[in-house]
Amino acid sequence: MTNSLHPILLVEDRAVDIDLTKRAFARRHFLNPIQEARDGEEALRYIERWDAGEVVPVFILLDLKLPRVSGLEVLSLLKRHPKYSSIPVIVLTTSAEDQDIQTAYSLGCNSYIVKPVEFEKFMDVASHVEVYWCALNKTLT
Amino acid sequence: MSTRHSATIILTIAAVLVSVVGLMFKTARAQTSNPKRILVLYWDTKEIPANISFDQGFQGGMQSEPIGNYELYNEYLDSRFSGEQQHQLFHDYLKQKYVGRQIDVIVATPDPPVDFLLRYRNDLFPNCPIVFTGIKRPPPEAITTGAGITGLVQQTTHKPTLDLALKFHPDTEQVFVISGTDEHDKRFESTARQELSSYETRVRINYLTDLSLSELIERTKNLPKRSIILFLWQRSSFEGENRLNAFEIVSLIAKSASVPIYSLGSRNVGHGVVGGYVQDAERNGSKIADFVRQILHGTRAQDIPIENAPVSPMFDWRQLQRWNIKESNLPPGSIVKFKELSFWEQYKWRIIGVLTLFALQTGFIGLLLVERKRRQRAKEALDQLNTELEQRIAARTAALASKSHELETFAYSVAHDLKAPLRGINGYSRLLLEEHAKQLDQEGQTFLQTIRSSTEEMNQLIEDLLDYSRLERRELKTERFELQTLINNVLGQKQRETKERAINVVVNVNGGSVVGDINGLTQALNNYLDNAIKFTREVLEPRIEIGSAETLDNCLLWVRDNGVGFDMKYKDRIFDIFQRLNRSEEYPGTGVGLAIVRKAMERMGGRAWGEGEPGKGATFYLEIPKPRPSDLKL
Repeated sequence: MTNSLHPILLVEDRAVDIDLTKRAFARRHFLNPIQEARDGEEALRYIERWDAGEVVPVFILLDLKLPRVSGLEVLSLLKRHPKYSSIPVIVLTTSAEDQDIQTAYSLGCNSYIVKPVEFEKFMDVASHVEVYWCALNKTLT
Repeated sequence: MSTRHSATIILTIAAVLVSVVGLMFKTARAQTSNPKRILVLYWDTKEIPANISFDQGFQGGMQSEPIGNYELYNEYLDSRFSGEQQHQLFHDYLKQKYVGRQIDVIVATPDPPVDFLLRYRNDLFPNCPIVFTGIKRPPPEAITTGAGITGLVQQTTHKPTLDLALKFHPDTEQVFVISGTDEHDKRFESTARQELSSYETRVRINYLTDLSLSELIERTKNLPKRSIILFLWQRSSFEGENRLNAFEIVSLIAKSASVPIYSLGSRNVGHGVVGGYVQDAERNGSKIADFVRQILHGTRAQDIPIENAPVSPMFDWRQLQRWNIKESNLPPGSIVKFKELSFWEQYKWRIIGVLTLFALQTGFIGLLLVERKRRQRAKEALDQLNTELEQRIAARTAALASKSHELETFAYSVAHDLKAPLRGINGYSRLLLEEHAKQLDQEGQTFLQTIRSSTEEMNQLIEDLLDYSRLERRELKTERFELQTLINNVLGQKQRETKERAINVVVNVNGGSVVGDINGLTQALNNYLDNAIKFTREVLEPRIEIGSAETLDNCLLWVRDNGVGFDMKYKDRIFDIFQRLNRSEEYPGTGVGLAIVRKAMERMGGRAWGEGEPGKGATFYLEIPKPRPSDLKL
């Protein structure tokens, strides 16, 4: 599983959510390293690091509500980027608003998942994401 | 009908007819018994205008006398048969004709018949009163003796007529008097001479008496200037010429005469004469009839005073114009005939009418124009007001939209932010329970369980609130769809639950499509079904029925269950947000479901309500309005 060598970029401002996500993935024996970006700006700085030769993530988990630069802006810039637009971006957010879903897809997100409140369901989501995006989905890398 | 019966009827009719005819005869006899006899003795013939006029006036005057009261006889002392012998023969004729026929009143007009009667009266009609018209007044002894005489004395009007003529033509130097011909007598001339002798000093008076028509025309054609003609009387029967009446003669003269003609006879007015003081034969006839009637009713002729015949100034308007005589110069009481009305006089009222109408119309048009202007101004003012109002509405709407957007963002953020810590509580309590259970006693574990279920409850509440607020924000999408499809979709989501609980679901919808917001309806039906499933939990044989009906304006959809039901006093409250009738331990819920239903229905112009009874189930209705024809653009 070549994808397992690649990191996953988690763009999330809340420490609790980062921790819970990491734990959920760990519970599912998720092996990929998890990189963190705590706001939109930090997320965009990864582009420079990838340009410098760092390994690009197998996918990006992107929250929409972020400090400084919003998740939708990050999504928009990434998906218009000549080199990195093919990196799958999975929007993981609390909002189930039609408008948010529509905007996210129109900007090019690859998947939109509403973040469940219950931990069990959250683990289900982590499991499905892992299976699909790491094992089934084929990317350019 | 029997023969006998019809015979009776015929006899009855005959009897009635006989009596009616008999009565008529009786009446006629009564009326004609002893009618008074009136004899009118004219001069000359029946045809002369004076006699015709007199007869008209006389018969008109007698009309007030009942029919059958008198008999009228007319006789004519023909001037063509003159002389002593002729008069004797006429006397004999009358004597023989009226023998044994008593005459009650005798009328004579004018002087010659009066003279005749005065002479033969005692022999012909003794004891018969006489009523006369004439210039001469009968001698006093004839008036008072015997049966008496009364009547009208005609005035000679030579003087007043000439006075008038001289007044109208003050520079007159000569007067030509025309008279005579019949019997070649100079009766008219001699009367005129007597009357007019006093004028000889002022004007020269020439008498044209007993001339033939052609001579007369010739003479009058070239009369000297400053002359006038006084036409008294002339009747031509000379030299094989047709016998013409005076008015015919005067009209022939007038055609060629170069000077104005005045006359004393009313009949001549209208035949070329200016006019004059005239005798009116018809009026005299009428007055004589008056005298006759008095005598018939018993008044003695002697007791009726003799009167002067009325005379009036009469003129031909056309001749007044021709000779430039002003109407204001005419004597008072003048009769002006043949007046040609001027255009104004003739159409005065029509002209006034048309002008009035025109003025009114102009007025109306003016009023309408003013009114139109006024309306235009009012409209402009209204338009301005409307524009201002629209601007204000637009401004308010924009403000409201901005507020609404703020509120949406707020609700959205709140929901988002509330969920994040909830996820923390839920997640860590779970982890605690799983990974540190050994360090917790039973009670501690129960507490943790309660924390977790509380977070779930809160999560549900947030979800429902978001649903409710999302309903408001989502655009209303009206479309036509099949009811059956909608029901199948919603039921499909509930299939697992209904099967597990063995709920008997009956769909009783007979086809039909509705027009409405499918999302709202789905949400509404979904909530109704959720409730039905939830509240039949304790029922032994749970049953849910979905039905529909159609009225003229609406489509009705209902969900009926045999669950716990509710008290009708809460029928409105249950649709309010956060209102619950049951404890959450029994039937969990947030109290938002029915509020969502009501909101969804109201948004599409429909209604939602419920009916129920505790312990006996409930029925919840959705009323979907049918589109009006004007809304149909689907």
